[in-house]
Amino acid sequence: MKGTKRWLALPVVAALAAGVVSGCSGSSDGGDGKGTVKLKMIESLTSPARTEVIKKMIASFEEANPNIKVELISPPLESADNKISTMLNSKESLDVLEVRDVTVKQFVTNKWIADLTEDTNAWSGYKDLNANSLAMANYIENKPYYIPYGLYQKMLFYRKDWFDEKGLTPPKTWDDLLNAAKTLTDSANNRFGYSFRGGSGADGYIVDLLRDFNGANVNTDDAMFLKSGATIFSTPEAKQGLTLYTNLYKDGSPKDAINWAFAEQVQGFVSGATAMLIQDPDTIDPVKQKLGEGTWATAPMPVGPTGVSHYKVGAAGWGMTSYSKHPKEAWKLIEFLSSPEQNAIFTKTAGVIPIHNSASVDSYFKEGAYKPYIDMANDPEHFVAYKPETDYKGFGEWRKIVQQDGQAVLLGQLSIDDALKKWDAYWMNEKQQGK
Amino acid sequence: MKLFRLNRTQTFIFLCLLPTILLVFGFTYYPIVKGIDVAFRNYSLFNLSDVRYIGMDNFKTVTSSAQFGTILKNTALWVSISLVLQFVIGFGVALLMRRSFRGRGVYQGFVFYSWALSGFLIGIIWRWLFNGQIGVVNDLLLKMGLISERIGFLSDPKWAMFSVIVANVWYGVAFFAIMLLAALQSVPSELYEAAEIDGAGSFGQLRHVTIPYIMPTIISTTALRVIWIFNFPDLIYGMTNGGPAGSTHILTTYMLDKIVFSGDYGQASAIGIICIAILVLFTTFYLFATRAGKAGDF
Amino acid sequence: MKKRFAKLGLAGKIVVLGIYLVFMVFPLYWMIITSLKPRNEIFTLPLQYWPKKISFENYVQIFKISKFHVYLGNSLFISLVAAAIVLLVTILSGYVLARFSFRGSGQLMMAFFVTQMIPLFIGFSTLYMMMSKMGLLNKQASLILMYTVGLVPFCTIMLRGFFQRIPASLEEAAMIDGCSRLGALYRVIVPIMMPGISATFIFAFVQNWNELFMAIMFIDRESSKTLPVAMNSFITKFDIDWGSMSAATVLSVVPTVVLFAICQRFIVEGLTQGAVKG
Repeated sequence: MKGTKRWLALPVVAALAAGVVSGCSGSSDGGDGKGTVKLKMIESLTSPARTEVIKKMIASFEEANPNIKVELISPPLESADNKISTMLNSKESLDVLEVRDVTVKQFVTNKWIADLTEDTNAWSGYKDLNANSLAMANYIENKPYYIPYGLYQKMLFYRKDWFDEKGLTPPKTWDDLLNAAKTLTDSANNRFGYSFRGGSGADGYIVDLLRDFNGANVNTDDAMFLKSGATIFSTPEAKQGLTLYTNLYKDGSPKDAINWAFAEQVQGFVSGATAMLIQDPDTIDPVKQKLGEGTWATAPMPVGPTGVSHYKVGAAGWGMTSYSKHPKEAWKLIEFLSSPEQNAIFTKTAGVIPIHNSASVDSYFKEGAYKPYIDMANDPEHFVAYKPETDYKGFGEWRKIVQQDGQAVLLGQLSIDDALKKWDAYWMNEKQQGK
Repeated sequence: MKLFRLNRTQTFIFLCLLPTILLVFGFTYYPIVKGIDVAFRNYSLFNLSDVRYIGMDNFKTVTSSAQFGTILKNTALWVSISLVLQFVIGFGVALLMRRSFRGRGVYQGFVFYSWALSGFLIGIIWRWLFNGQIGVVNDLLLKMGLISERIGFLSDPKWAMFSVIVANVWYGVAFFAIMLLAALQSVPSELYEAAEIDGAGSFGQLRHVTIPYIMPTIISTTALRVIWIFNFPDLIYGMTNGGPAGSTHILTTYMLDKIVFSGDYGQASAIGIICIAILVLFTTFYLFATRAGKAGDF
Repeated sequence: MKKRFAKLGLAGKIVVLGIYLVFMVFPLYWMIITSLKPRNEIFTLPLQYWPKKISFENYVQIFKISKFHVYLGNSLFISLVAAAIVLLVTILSGYVLARFSFRGSGQLMMAFFVTQMIPLFIGFSTLYMMMSKMGLLNKQASLILMYTVGLVPFCTIMLRGFFQRIPASLEEAAMIDGCSRLGALYRVIVPIMMPGISATFIFAFVQNWNELFMAIMFIDRESSKTLPVAMNSFITKFDIDWGSMSAATVLSVVPTVVLFAICQRFIVEGLTQGAVKG
């Protein structure tokens, strides 16, 4: 029996040892007892270059606040939001987190993130935020639940050299865009007119296009619906829009693009396979890096048949967990990251539109590639902002549905009429269920 | 210990099994039971303030979705075609490798390594090979003159399922080849000698000696593979994400989708339970039909 | 006549095995070639089947942008420790289940077998809470524990099969010579079973080495991350960094391929022991 016990002890000891050894390294939350506060912060739209910059910003924060230490968590992009929800759901120690326009509703409904009203009231920099940033910060319940670090808005990128070659001018309307795409497509030489988005994230493209076709009838405060109360999918204009969408894929885009998500779309443009791309400003940098100067340019978004283009401002930023044990320090960090100096550093890397109103920002905008933003902002008659539907409960499910149905339409498995009917029903139901 | 009045052997058995039982029941079955509970609740990450019981609603929602039929069909295709190809090729390779030849060790190293890769990696590798623009598979086919235009292996619904299955076969042949090779080598040579005296040719030997002898291995490995292939969303998720237009969704990728896009853990759990039910039914039936006796007898 | 057939058979055998070899090796070859191309050459047509100029910039890059050597070390440590614990635990359970039949033993085997059918996600949120309560989150111990949990049922089944092939008379003889049962198990049976145990160990190691999801969810700290997580990070919003990805793939596959090449003899031998029960 002696031998028995000794042998039996082995696995138990090994298991315990593994637990104890690693259990000793570092405490999971709170400080180390010397008055130092340890904050945990998680990012979502992770990329190696961006993580580097955030680390540098944190380092300068720690330098300015020697009693605060920040641990940054950088999960891989694909699983990041999932990891964040999991951590929040089990109240795992976390103080500052990246909140996105698509996640903020969920975080607020579940009472995972804190209302920052008191902090913003006491913050002198708050009033310096530009109107769009303030609107996005207060998008849910009219309370600031996060401070954006930057804004997104779509514009058109095009290959100036190819356009010049064919004597084309940048498209002003969706019809122009379709025609240009057709003209520029030369599939034998692996050249296509348009960087089509058919994969994950296609939902935004489809719905925005249908809004443009519905023109001024769209209710911009509840933009899945018309002013009449019907959905934007119920009209003959919607059918025209979806038809154009299908033709754009068939006649002006690579076949593969039915599966394209952001990365492939951008890749297609910068690798010289496609002539036009509709994207956010964070694409400017990769385009600049890969394509020679003078070969490309940017333009305002194409408008619908009645001359209206609907745009939404997207945002992501920093928020605080509702259960943070160090709300004061956490806010300090958010405030620090949102200061004009730090934000300038960040926006440059992340390629987003800055959040402040200031002279430096204005000059930033007037420069080349960003110019369409000013043009669009100065032409509110044709470029109309709307409130995105991100605050509906069914939003997550919707994105998946419309993306899949969209693919089915492109493949001819689902008729345009049936798709629109289905989407119409979905949103009538959502409206009934409420936000 | 007094309580149970175990004798020495019983104590030995008990202590030897204890760690395993604690691990399996504490960290597998306990969370599963909790997860099963979620399947009957309105449990969506979009709103956790209202996680009431809703009976069978999650199951109804999932099974009545228009996609569900396609998904079941895809699952059946995915499992059966992958399995048959993996088995046939694996068995063939094992037969050819049964007798030792020079360099067999090195050869084994080169053809069996795929089994050691992760689903994520295999997805990544094949997505790269099958790329519609700069993928090497298209390039090779063009060079050989077999096609005149690049094929959208992952973007054309006609090809997408084929492509993910090719990747899965590439991954899984090694498992069968290894297991069956091991089994073949355990066939006593006297049996072959006896068969040869009886005048059996190589096909006869295969049919009357080899296959009957390794039947238990064939049954257990195929049953296990069915379960593993069924529960292997990683590869499809990495290659096509279930697309285009849901044409490569199987039950387990559909479940992942419910979590990632809709945050609906209730429906995801419901799908998970459907998966378990299908597999339990299948295994019971399969092992019964092949008279393998007790399940788990590997 | 027979000889010609044999020759034909041999030629056929070589051809078939050759085709299979190409099918298996080509994807890896292509990853290696991709990893050795300069970054800008990766996306250019016509495709180069051999890089014009061999470049190691992708390899340099992955060590520069990430602590790749740290992740390699972590993966190795976690995979080895978890696989070792799995063996310690399952040698006992596999042995007992092979040698003794008692009330509930059949059901127990069934319960182990059914674990193979359960999708991980069903119980995941509960598991996360459990890890959190046990204070294991963000510690490598969480992965060691969960990897062990994941492998214990199947490895028990596997080892039980191997034990059944070994006649009980062997350890009975040792016990008559004064060994305890456990002593007999470890001194007599385990050495004989070494190939089977190696096969089980490799199986366990490979599973651990590849695991991605729990590693993402349970570990936050940069210094504790594992290789699959680091590789997953090469998928960014802008692109899949194919240069880094291919280099990392090659580096992560090398240990398993080497392990396989060295141990494949044991694997097949070990499995031969357990393959068919007499």
